[in-house]
Amino acid sequence: MNPVVKKVLGSSVVGALTSPLSVDDYLALIDGRLSLSEPRGRVIHAVRQTPDSVTLYIEPNDNWQGHRPGQHVLLGVDLDGVRHSRCFSVASAPDQKTLEITVKRNGDGRVSNYLVDHAARGQLVYLSPAEGDFYPEPGTAQPALLLSAGSGITPVMSVLRHWIANDRLRDVVFVHYARTRTDMIYAAELEALAQRQHGLRVETVFTADGGDRINEASLRRLVPDLATRETWLCGPAGFMDVADPLVAAASEWPLHREQFAATRREAAHGEGSVRFLKSDIAASGESGSLLEVAEGAGLKPNYGCRMGICHACKCRVAEGSVRDLRTNRVRDVRDSDIQLCIHAAAGDVAVEL
Amino acid sequence: MGKPTHLSKADIEAFGREIDAVRDEVMNDLGERDARYIRNILKTQRYSEVAGRALLMAGFLPPAWLGGVGLLSLSKILENMEIGHNVMHGQWDWMNDPSIDSATYDWDNTCPAHQWKHSHNYMHHTFTNIVDLDRDVGYGILRMSEDQAWRPQHLAQPLTAATLATFFQWGVALHDLEVERLGKDKTFKEAAVQAREIWAKARKQVLKDYVLFPALAGPMFAPVLAGNITANLNRNLWSFLIIFCGHFTDEVEMFDVEETRDETRGQWYLRQLLGSSNLTGSVPFHILSGHLSYQIEHHLFPDMPSHRYREVAPKIQEICERYGLNYNTGPLTKQFGGVVKRILRMSLPHRRKRNTLEPTTSTDAPVYAKAA
Repeated sequence: MNPVVKKVLGSSVVGALTSPLSVDDYLALIDGRLSLSEPRGRVIHAVRQTPDSVTLYIEPNDNWQGHRPGQHVLLGVDLDGVRHSRCFSVASAPDQKTLEITVKRNGDGRVSNYLVDHAARGQLVYLSPAEGDFYPEPGTAQPALLLSAGSGITPVMSVLRHWIANDRLRDVVFVHYARTRTDMIYAAELEALAQRQHGLRVETVFTADGGDRINEASLRRLVPDLATRETWLCGPAGFMDVADPLVAAASEWPLHREQFAATRREAAHGEGSVRFLKSDIAASGESGSLLEVAEGAGLKPNYGCRMGICHACKCRVAEGSVRDLRTNRVRDVRDSDIQLCIHAAAGDVAVEL
Repeated sequence: MGKPTHLSKADIEAFGREIDAVRDEVMNDLGERDARYIRNILKTQRYSEVAGRALLMAGFLPPAWLGGVGLLSLSKILENMEIGHNVMHGQWDWMNDPSIDSATYDWDNTCPAHQWKHSHNYMHHTFTNIVDLDRDVGYGILRMSEDQAWRPQHLAQPLTAATLATFFQWGVALHDLEVERLGKDKTFKEAAVQAREIWAKARKQVLKDYVLFPALAGPMFAPVLAGNITANLNRNLWSFLIIFCGHFTDEVEMFDVEETRDETRGQWYLRQLLGSSNLTGSVPFHILSGHLSYQIEHHLFPDMPSHRYREVAPKIQEICERYGLNYNTGPLTKQFGGVVKRILRMSLPHRRKRNTLEPTTSTDAPVYAKAA
């Protein structure tokens, strides 16, 4: 939007003329992407690199404040009338004009599966400001190890691309685990970079084609000088659980983890019973996160990302014992607000819903 | 306990379960079709507002002025009836769209959204037609039931009602002040806080419709001002008409506190049914009424997206028939005739009310059993 137009539309006089509706409500008549303050974007290109993924090139509006390499964003789409938001890493470097996000098919993941199957040019997406502390400081020392598995490659790609774009690539080893070559997103780009970039060594391991899953011996073989490297780690929960202690034991240098792709353990079981105080309903706490228990009991609590990022599902717990599904840590809470989507009951819990 | 009817306790609970089933079927089916409906309504409302205000700028030409007033009235009616009222009921919360979420939406009305949600969503919808609890029974100024004590000022209530209709949104705005409780169980300080909120809200509409848009029109100040006043007046009269037909028609039931103590879900449904009345008409008429022409369905399912009332109404009517319950519906003329009759009838003291020795019973038409 032209900055002068934006300033006029944002003035208090125009605000008074549209009150109690917002200027955005009227801008939506022209284009859903227009807004005075909210970052939104439109897909201008959707590419299927692999059979079960889609890479979206998104043109954000001018409320997008940019991102640091490795950060993630909450991306919202309207599915069957309902706005769903999920977290995705931005794979592009900050210097690129369009935002690149690669989405992999994901079990029952409605948003991911919808985007993989149906995303096309013109798709409107709602964005959040970029979030997360998985990014290198401008002066970050190399040598570095970029270590990823599956869709965990996306934030790491952003870091790599950022270093290349700013001519700051000195000594980087990129180790990536995928099931097969056909499953691997960014395979072609990484191969090309490995050929031409001085200071970059790429090692890909295809676990369904005879490659070893990550273990101490294979990691030492792939990265003999791990002790001298700062590591950037992202992948599914099982992978992170194994890789994290291996790297921590082998290198004194900082280890950066991007947690969100690995937020939830596979089985999110609770125990005990959950009482929903306002609606006077009791339910077994076993069927998953408190959010899932609430929904199973017919309640409709607010939610967003369902992975502990957006805090939309925050709700007061009067008392009880809860387990954080990201860390499996159990704690007792009383009159505190917790995120329902990443906590399960670890005993009897009373929720103010 | 619940009002006695020809139905047994078990019958009433079975009736409640059937109503629940109708609700569940729709609520589990919400999706793209519903989203498309509300988005079209939002677009229609906004386009008609923009076009209406633009036409008024050429208001020195009578056809432009009339067209402008018509479009702006349409927009204001849609915004209050089909959008604002229904959004604030949470009918569209399932869409997760912050621009039509009950927690944040504010309507083009002098009544602040959160006061409305208290007086309407909570008080009126929970205690529907319970005299002394539901303050919508006469809004504290009209006598709409024999169970309300007659006072001499009620003689003037045809005039009071006409005044209320003219300034309806201001009546709505002052409603939650609950002036009749002042000095009793409500302090003047509490009311003063509310009054400040009302003025903060109301002045935005005053500024927009009566100052800014006329000023923007420059030489067209007068036609634009007159057009905006007329559009607000049209919306006031229309909402009064529709809303009074919802609960004050001839056959509608009133309840007293004792009758409704410890109600079950089934009994609550029954009260909502007997305390509400529908209007028949075309689809555009229903949309302009905010689907309050399906007042019965709205009171059974306040948070169901309004356009679905059209679909569930035949099912509700069929259930009522099987249980021998009156489903109060009719054309606008008949129903509003009933409202006028009630306003006139209640303006006069009632014979039975004078005799304090006799136990007072409601003299409203007994309508529990349609066939009886």
